[in-house]
Amino acid sequence: MSTKALFSIILAGVIILVASKSVYIVKETERAVKLQFGEIVEPDIKPGLSFKIPFVNTIRKFDGRVLTLDSRPQAFLTIEKKRLIVDAFLKWKINSVETYYTATSGDEFRAADLLSARVENELRNQFGARTLNEVVSGERDEVMTEVIRRLNEVASKELGVSIIDVRVKRVELPPEVSNSVYERMRTEREREARELRSRGFELAEGIRADADRQKTVLVAEAYRESEGLRGEGDASAAAIYANAYSKDSEFYSFTRSLKAYTEAFSGNGDVMLLKPDSEFFKYLSNSAGAEK
Amino acid sequence: MAWNEPGGNGNGQDPWGGGDKRNDKGNRGNDQGPPDLDEALRKLQDRLNDLFGGSGKKSGGGGGGSSPAGGSSAFIWVVLAVAVLAWGGMGFYTVDQQERGVVLTLGKYSETVNPGLQWNPPLIDEVSIVNTTRVRSHDHQALMLTEDENIVDVAVTAQYVVADPKAYELSVRDPDGSLSNAAESALRHVVGSSEMHSILTEGRETLAIQVQERLQRYMSDYNTGISITQVNIKNAQAPSQVQDAFDDVIKAREDEQRVKNEAQSYANGVVPEARGKAQRMLEEASAYREQVVSKAEGESKRFTALLTEYEKAPDVTRERLYLDTMQEVLAKNAKVLIDVEGGNNMMYLPVDKLIQNNGSRQPAVTSGNLRLDDQSLRSVTNQVVDQIRQSQATTRREGRQ
Repeated sequence: MSTKALFSIILAGVIILVASKSVYIVKETERAVKLQFGEIVEPDIKPGLSFKIPFVNTIRKFDGRVLTLDSRPQAFLTIEKKRLIVDAFLKWKINSVETYYTATSGDEFRAADLLSARVENELRNQFGARTLNEVVSGERDEVMTEVIRRLNEVASKELGVSIIDVRVKRVELPPEVSNSVYERMRTEREREARELRSRGFELAEGIRADADRQKTVLVAEAYRESEGLRGEGDASAAAIYANAYSKDSEFYSFTRSLKAYTEAFSGNGDVMLLKPDSEFFKYLSNSAGAEK
Repeated sequence: MAWNEPGGNGNGQDPWGGGDKRNDKGNRGNDQGPPDLDEALRKLQDRLNDLFGGSGKKSGGGGGGSSPAGGSSAFIWVVLAVAVLAWGGMGFYTVDQQERGVVLTLGKYSETVNPGLQWNPPLIDEVSIVNTTRVRSHDHQALMLTEDENIVDVAVTAQYVVADPKAYELSVRDPDGSLSNAAESALRHVVGSSEMHSILTEGRETLAIQVQERLQRYMSDYNTGISITQVNIKNAQAPSQVQDAFDDVIKAREDEQRVKNEAQSYANGVVPEARGKAQRMLEEASAYREQVVSKAEGESKRFTALLTEYEKAPDVTRERLYLDTMQEVLAKNAKVLIDVEGGNNMMYLPVDKLIQNNGSRQPAVTSGNLRLDDQSLRSVTNQVVDQIRQSQATTRREGRQ
């Protein structure tokens, strides 16, 4: 009886084993092919649970997601023979599982290897036909579109993968060139700084000169005006004097002379040498004041 | 699991796991395979029942301990029930408000579940919880070429959220890594299409916008399910190798401003000062004009008044005026009367000086006749010269006072 039990257990085990061998799951992120003695019998299995014949069919699964191929930085030459260090990456995914399996036997590294050589070749061609400026700025998108298009033709047919994107990350000048770029940038800045400073001095000098001019002009104009005013005053005064003094010019000269004497000998210790026969002394020696 | 527990069949399962290289979950999924699970379970229970019950009966209660066959069967039922409950319980999980769950049923995408308490059959469904609201960020900094073949140092931060958890989980391997690559490429592309000056100054805003647009486009092309919320240019500067030259430009700009300000301040000082000076000149001239006119008027008035009186008695007035004036003049001054006809007046000049430099203020000689012989004249002259020399220094000093 115990042999029967043992037999039952073994039977159950075998059934479970066979059942487990005959079902498989393809995940949403995977692509799979069903092989029958090495021959592909079902090229693209839908995600989910499926059945197979144990020991007859084998299932090969591949990552069906978008994968990244990040190649190592390479030195490329542009059309003007400038050397550039270029670091690119490639986005790809399996397009036709059958072709992919045939071409790479499902080895992702092998696929990446094949792709990377092709990408490098394409980029080299594209860079070699363009100037540095074109690849750095102007035609970056065009370069990539062209690379993607040409790669896609080959990759889809030969490897069963589709190239979603090729992008260049770094495009750099080699270090020794960078140094001369830095030197140039430095001299440009120095030029700019000097220009700014000189312009400052220029403007400042202009402002100063303008101020000085204004000053001179202001003073000169004021001088003109003031001389005019003084002249006016002098003229008015002359008219007033003339008007008054012309009434008796002889008397005017008399009084004016007297005034002049007073002011001229205003007591500064002047010494007057007088002759006693002057008009003033007419009584000094002769009380009669006789005329000489 | 449910199958493992009752009979210690786990022993039987290990070889499957070892023999089949497929992953664990897939394996279990296989076991759980058929959709009508209950039926399968029931069959299994029956079989196990036969197995254990049979052996129990045959061995006389040896296998299952001292319990009778019925008891063993009940025990198995309990174990199974507990196992089923445990299995069912394992299917519960919570999804946070920030998260979404991507459910794969037997490897195939079935649904995206929302926050709350959720149940999916364990081992059949596989749930990946993805945080869809947390803002992730990616920093990148590098030296890069610009359009005008300069090199700039740019640091950028891209902030992003997972907008489509299904795509994020299923369509790209390493979506975050893809973002990092794409961000670098987008940044370098945009920087490479801009001039250094604009990157370093007013172009930053545009730069960020362009990088964001480009990066978003790449992310959509790759179907990463990532949505770029913001791209910030944290820092855009000249490389350290030339930083000092760039700083000097800034300094030069300041210098320019400073020199201009200095000149302006000079101008601001000079022009108003000149204006003030001009004003003073004008005011002084005005004053002069008023002054001379007033003076003229005054003097005319005085003259006219005097003239009126003079005309009434000309001789007397004339005489009086003359004498008044002479008196005034002579009273203030030293006088030397010379009563010599044809005398050499030059001889007397040293006398003047003597008087003047004595500073006595007193008329030294007021007598009527002054005569000096040659000797006394010479001695006086010498005295005068000495006095002059002696006092010259002091006079000068005094003179200035």
